[in-house]
Amino acid sequence: MNFELDAVVIEENCRASALASRVVGGIPPSVQVSYVSDGRPAARSPANTRDPFGAGKRRMVVMRRRSPFLMGCPASSTQFACCGYLVLVLASNCPMDCSYCFLQEHLANNPGFQVFANYHDAFEELDRLASGSSGRAFRVGTGELADSLAFDSLTGISRDLVSYFSEHENLLLELKTKTDEIDNLLALEPRGRTLVSWSLSPMRVFATCEHRTAPPHARINAARRVLEAGYKVGFHLDPLIAYSDAEQDYLDLLDNVFDAVPPQAITFFSIGGLRMTPGLRTTARRRFPDDAMLLGEEVLGEDGRYRTFTPLRLRLFSKLRERIVKACSALPVYLCMETASVHHRVFGASPLTPAALGSRLAGR
Amino acid sequence: MNSVEVERQLLRWADAKALPAMYVEKWLVLDESSRTRLLEIAENLRMRTGQFITSFILLEEVAVRESQSIGEILARPRLRRVLNSAGSGPGRARALLDELRTLRYPRLRRASARLAEEVAAITAPPGIKIILPRDLASDEVRVEIVAHGSAELEELLAWLKAKSGEFVRLAAMLGGADSGLEFEDARTLAEPQAERANESARCAFQK
Repeated sequence: MNFELDAVVIEENCRASALASRVVGGIPPSVQVSYVSDGRPAARSPANTRDPFGAGKRRMVVMRRRSPFLMGCPASSTQFACCGYLVLVLASNCPMDCSYCFLQEHLANNPGFQVFANYHDAFEELDRLASGSSGRAFRVGTGELADSLAFDSLTGISRDLVSYFSEHENLLLELKTKTDEIDNLLALEPRGRTLVSWSLSPMRVFATCEHRTAPPHARINAARRVLEAGYKVGFHLDPLIAYSDAEQDYLDLLDNVFDAVPPQAITFFSIGGLRMTPGLRTTARRRFPDDAMLLGEEVLGEDGRYRTFTPLRLRLFSKLRERIVKACSALPVYLCMETASVHHRVFGASPLTPAALGSRLAGR
Repeated sequence: MNSVEVERQLLRWADAKALPAMYVEKWLVLDESSRTRLLEIAENLRMRTGQFITSFILLEEVAVRESQSIGEILARPRLRRVLNSAGSGPGRARALLDELRTLRYPRLRRASARLAEEVAAITAPPGIKIILPRDLASDEVRVEIVAHGSAELEELLAWLKAKSGEFVRLAAMLGGADSGLEFEDARTLAEPQAERANESARCAFQK
């Protein structure tokens, strides 16, 4: 995919890193490169810019991460039935620009597209996780605060990651993406320890909301190709947006997936309704005032987020679950950021604990 | 009124109602028909500032959802009927807001009406109150029992037991079952058939 950068800022102490060399060697000559002692100010929201978040996406900051790389999923909460997902923060922000993206609020003060040159330090954290787990398996993803594969042709991080995870039986790497940037992956041997997942939306959501992403058919095609190359694949129907023809469009989308990828070969589907805090909703509508998908029938829920009103949301969840189960009854499906009671209504059973579900998804 | 007069009158109304500058600016940049029709409702319905702002926001949102201008939306027969109806200005303003909410949240309105009918059909005795979640924002059905003494409580509990099937059905409807949200009907919620055909309102949310 062809993402554009205005500038690359590199921390002096990362100048000699392999990542900085790959980036400097891979960007077009027109992109300005500068070196600074501390990359953090460059990642902050610039003054006098009408759209600081959008501007941040075009400014790559290669820097050292000062905090731990590994953390619990920021979406997890005791009020939801969660999936036990762990997040490895190797980058922050993303060159694509989805109108509903939570990063618009989450990274409002820090919108620079940060890529962490010391990412090899993350392997020590993962070693500790893997060795201290007494047989438990973990699913660890890099696609929460960034897209896992956007700019991978430039950074090449996936090569080191896939190689590391291929040697750890109880760790599963999840590379979550809306791109079709899989060339690096196809040259690697994942040994069953890397799963590539795609967030999928119908064509109308893609065309309206998902700016600079790969179209749905390209994502599905990429999924088929990585599956053939030995990777596991999963899909996230998230955020599910309840526009008036959504039900049929999402069912058609599922049919398109099952036409290209055998359902038995899919590791999981996750489903999550569009949810927005009031702050995110305001920001998103300000940045995308003509996006009708941001003006659906959402109401303020008990958790302080706007979601599609309950009967409609649950109806859509149930319809999609039915179609997935019809395609393959053993294919795991879970809901993201929904309560146990909603889970029970949709699946007719109580959810597993996050640890149990996480381990199951990682081990399948 | 020509556009200069509309603008002058609009500014006079905004000033008298202390309309925040942000809304005045938004109003001024609308196309002429939208600007004029908005002034018409503000004046004719003697809207309060809050009512005007709410109407304006709802109209802006419906305009984006349905790819129409505010002027076109306000020209719809069902809204004209409210504007031209008898009654006090504030009463008609409330009715207009109600219509705008129905346009903005068509399926929510229909599901709420369907559930309210279901609750009414249960015909609960005075000691029992069935409470649905506000804006159907959760899947919780609350049943409140107010009883004075054990005999009354026993009677109400027996009534509840006898009606358990209807309560279960209500709970299922909150979960999306048979709540009037069937796919093929989803686009017909905002307008009666004939009216929609006349207006040829093309909803951006439709294929």
